[in-house]
Amino acid sequence: MAMTAATAEPASADRPARKMPDRTLWLLAPGVIWMVLFLVVPILMMVYVSFWTQTTFAITPTLTIKSWVMFFSSDTYLSALWTTIRIWLIVLAATLIVGYPAALFVGLFVRNKTVQTVLLVLCVIPFWTSFLIRVLAWRPMLGKEGAINLILQGVGLINKPIEVLLFSELSVIIGMTQIYCVFMVGPIAFMMGRIDQSVIEAAQDLGAGFWRIFRTIILPLSMPGVVVGAIFVSVMVLGEFATSAALSGRKVNLLGNIIVTQVGSLKWAFAAVAGVILTILMGIVVAALLRVVDLRKEL
Amino acid sequence: MQASGTKLVLGIYTTLFLVFLYGPMVVLAILSFQTGPEGGPQFPIIEWSVYWYKHLFGMTPPTRIAPLPIEEALVRSLVLAVMTMIVSTVLGVTSAQAFRKKFTGSGFAFYLIVLGMMVPGVLVGLGMALIANALGIDRHWWGTTFVLHVVYTYPFAFLVMLAILNRFDQNVEEASWSLGVSPVKTFRKVTFPLIFPGVLSAMLFAFTLSYDEFSRTLFASGRDLTLPLAIYGTFSVEVHPNVFAFGVLTTLFSFALLGTYAALMMLSIRRARRVAIQEEA
Repeated sequence: MAMTAATAEPASADRPARKMPDRTLWLLAPGVIWMVLFLVVPILMMVYVSFWTQTTFAITPTLTIKSWVMFFSSDTYLSALWTTIRIWLIVLAATLIVGYPAALFVGLFVRNKTVQTVLLVLCVIPFWTSFLIRVLAWRPMLGKEGAINLILQGVGLINKPIEVLLFSELSVIIGMTQIYCVFMVGPIAFMMGRIDQSVIEAAQDLGAGFWRIFRTIILPLSMPGVVVGAIFVSVMVLGEFATSAALSGRKVNLLGNIIVTQVGSLKWAFAAVAGVILTILMGIVVAALLRVVDLRKEL
Repeated sequence: MQASGTKLVLGIYTTLFLVFLYGPMVVLAILSFQTGPEGGPQFPIIEWSVYWYKHLFGMTPPTRIAPLPIEEALVRSLVLAVMTMIVSTVLGVTSAQAFRKKFTGSGFAFYLIVLGMMVPGVLVGLGMALIANALGIDRHWWGTTFVLHVVYTYPFAFLVMLAILNRFDQNVEEASWSLGVSPVKTFRKVTFPLIFPGVLSAMLFAFTLSYDEFSRTLFASGRDLTLPLAIYGTFSVEVHPNVFAFGVLTTLFSFALLGTYAALMMLSIRRARRVAIQEEA
């Protein structure tokens, strides 16, 4: 998002140039204050509370690292951390594999602007509908008597319903892939749309085949889209708990699920520890991805 | 791209992709017409009926299946969405205005704002709940939840406005200023009509995202449920087709919003074109 430098500002007598920073300050202050109060402070509070003392039903502000020790010595929590990382990596790869070809087609192969817009809109519409309903919609699809099993049995591919489809890790992965691939397709298709067609035509005229063009032109130029998409998907999957709650039948416990359970039983300090670990994990992932591309320039 | 074989394959793939994207929703919609109260949330459809839609509105004789608590939740969700929409659009427009001038710390401010849409709801929700606990504040959908919804939707409004403001010609405003028109009037008469499509998009983002927002709401709201919380409540118990019927209705509502947005955008573009033609003549 390149800022256009306002260098041609007329410095007339009634609006001296010195006044501009003031105006900027007043315009910016409400938003920044809001974000500090309701975003930064809550996160800092979470870090702080993770060092509080947890009693059965309450927390007291006596500093201790007991909750942290407890997290790292508990198999349940450590396996939740591992499950979170595993599911995140699988879903990230799945959204990329599922979304990239669609983005390639919509962004580059469709030449008719109207058709392209319609397809793009179709790809992003689910973003504006209820997330929980989209999750829930997978239940009648994947169940033992669900649509997929019925179709597969009807076609004769299987003669017994596949039970592993619902209430398993697989169902969580399928659900998340469908819900989050939208965030992959959008940015990638956007970058594809910006590729200059004449570059590709030039390569074709020089006799390059599709794969060569894909490897040397399309893939590198679409990378910023991939990274932006990966950031969106990563952050959202790492913070997930509703999909696993709805589709895994309590078999898949992510860090998010740990937080929800702990809050439910008023174990605020433990919940805060899980929250801080989640924050650190996300920070590492986003920082690593941002090293590849400058978000501000590419959006 | 010319390669027609590749294009065909990718075209077929994209069609399948769209089926993957919309298939579950279609199945859910079909099953919402299951007969009730004995019909379950699976195939086959025993008999087509609108029983579960009636059930949703309390128009059926009481059964063992409890009706969804949506009536008050709907009002709360709508009020919350409107509040969020107004505040985040105003914040988005003002901050994007500030970003039109280069200033020190712009990078920091940019990332601070964008952080709001990136940080998962479960984390800010937890943090907000901890603060409310420590300060002894009651958590309410119109208080703690509302401020978190703005934290989430304001960055969207901000980015949309930034994209719009980057595109439009600064000279138009400067011309107005140099003709002696006051900054306030310039904003109303020149700037605002130009940024209107952006404002509309920002409003759409803020409203729909707040209306469907769930994870931030979960910890930050008190006893009173919003719509997504009411839906989440059904996750832990057996799912009946009444939830599907509700899903269909709320999705239709989202589509209606998108449709209104598209119509307003079309109108604004057409009006801009008409003005341009008149000026040429």
